[in-house]
Amino acid sequence: MTALRVVDLEAGYEPGLPIVRGTSLAVEPNEIVAVLGPNGAGKSTLIKAIAGLVPVSAGKVLLHDRDITGRAAHHLAHEGLGFVPQTENVFVNLSIEDNLDLAASILKVPKKQRLRDLYDLFPDLARQRRLLAGRLSGGQRQMLAVARALVGEPKVLMLDEPSAGLSPKLVGIVFEKLLDVRATGVTIVLVEQNVKAALAIADRGAVLVEGSTRIVGTARDLAGDPQVAALYLGQHRGGS
Amino acid sequence: MLQLVADGFIIGSVIALGAIGVTLVYSILRFANFAHGELLTWGAYLAWTALIGIVAVWGPAEPLGPFSFGWPLLVALAVSAVATAALALLVDRLLFRQLRRHGNAITLIMASFGAALVLRNLLQFIYGAVPEYYSREIQVAIRLVPRDVLGGLRITPDQLFVLGLTAVSVVGLHIFLTRTTVGKAMRATSVNPQLARVTGIDVDRVIRATWIIGAVLAAVAGVFSGLTVQLRPQLGLDLLLPLFAAAILGGIGSVYGAVVGGLIVGLAESLSVPLVGAEYRAATAFVVLIAILLIRPTGLFGERT
Repeated sequence: MTALRVVDLEAGYEPGLPIVRGTSLAVEPNEIVAVLGPNGAGKSTLIKAIAGLVPVSAGKVLLHDRDITGRAAHHLAHEGLGFVPQTENVFVNLSIEDNLDLAASILKVPKKQRLRDLYDLFPDLARQRRLLAGRLSGGQRQMLAVARALVGEPKVLMLDEPSAGLSPKLVGIVFEKLLDVRATGVTIVLVEQNVKAALAIADRGAVLVEGSTRIVGTARDLAGDPQVAALYLGQHRGGS
Repeated sequence: MLQLVADGFIIGSVIALGAIGVTLVYSILRFANFAHGELLTWGAYLAWTALIGIVAVWGPAEPLGPFSFGWPLLVALAVSAVATAALALLVDRLLFRQLRRHGNAITLIMASFGAALVLRNLLQFIYGAVPEYYSREIQVAIRLVPRDVLGGLRITPDQLFVLGLTAVSVVGLHIFLTRTTVGKAMRATSVNPQLARVTGIDVDRVIRATWIIGAVLAAVAGVFSGLTVQLRPQLGLDLLLPLFAAAILGGIGSVYGAVVGGLIVGLAESLSVPLVGAEYRAATAFVVLIAILLIRPTGLFGERT
């Protein structure tokens, strides 16, 4: 059973103008898969469509073999799909505690233990739990965004460019934390521009070009693939 | 002087409760609802209808202590709050929800003007244009401060009731917004509806909660206005601009700003009467509004962006 399967997905903001054009992707349980690609390739649109934020016009999304295509985003959080947007990914007018408490409201079990587990995983957040999220630094904010998405015990966690706007040192800290998250049994899908950092923690990668999957392989293979490097250096000419 | 301040707080209480609804709808549904004043009018008249019904079934009741009204008005207020919330949800279902899917903020604003016209004329058609009262009991004002201290202060028990219940409503709303899951979800949705969705928050449920809270407070404000002045079909229309002045002055989107803004607008209106006369009192609220916005363009409690 795959954790997440995307089959020939077409999605876009305007009817008749798909940005994601027939993308397919399979993510195995407890895997970290990096979705890579040049600017405008449709990476963010792909995971937003999976998360129920962008209309899907064709294809299927299966979460643990259950068809979740086109389901409302708030239902998907209950189904076990976590999503961390690239920007504006915490509630800046709520405290750290309230951000997590609100996310925990979808749990069917008592939330105290879950919050305790998360504070153990993110001790920095535990120390400042009364602080307003809007006052956090970029790295702390990203940690809170990941923690917020994890509260609901997702089976699959999707992150949209978690390294955006962070210093290389903070990128390292955030990505290390993602390895800790994977160790708790969570499957991770990572959309990234920072290819080197993403492939360093990913098991496999998929390269998107013009809305469809162009290359799929292990992280090691992709890291050494000249075609991937060419795509990022802007040498792509539309067919390879 | 003291009397003018007290009068300002009483007018301000009505404006503050109404302005909370305006600011909540603006921050969560992202449009200025010009039909909100009509919810105050409907709230006031629905309470009057419930009061007549209660008195017809159980007979007239003795006034409660020093107040001009008995228990039937309190029950009528509760009935009106529920009915006004139902009315707000109905208008949302029939009109605003359809436009949210396909329209933009301007469409919604223009639709709210239309909704206001329909609601006002429907009310006038049903109830007529003659002013009504909840009670025709004459109330004797209590002297709280002697005349030789800043002109003295006299206040009726009903006015004290309005001030007290406004304070209770605001504290209750504060507890609701800061301690309950729905309240936190409303605050979260106001800053980031998309993130709210992926966090598992049912934004439609939050929108319903927003209408219910705004309408309940509008009904309370309408009844307060009817209690301290009189019931007129133009009640909400006359209060509409002060409601928006209060919401903007406090910082649109801020509940606490709406409360403070309401009290400031009420005070400005009241204190200006000896200076410019009663006919220009409404204009002074806007002078204060402009003055504050020149110093702080986002309003008193608004976020600087």
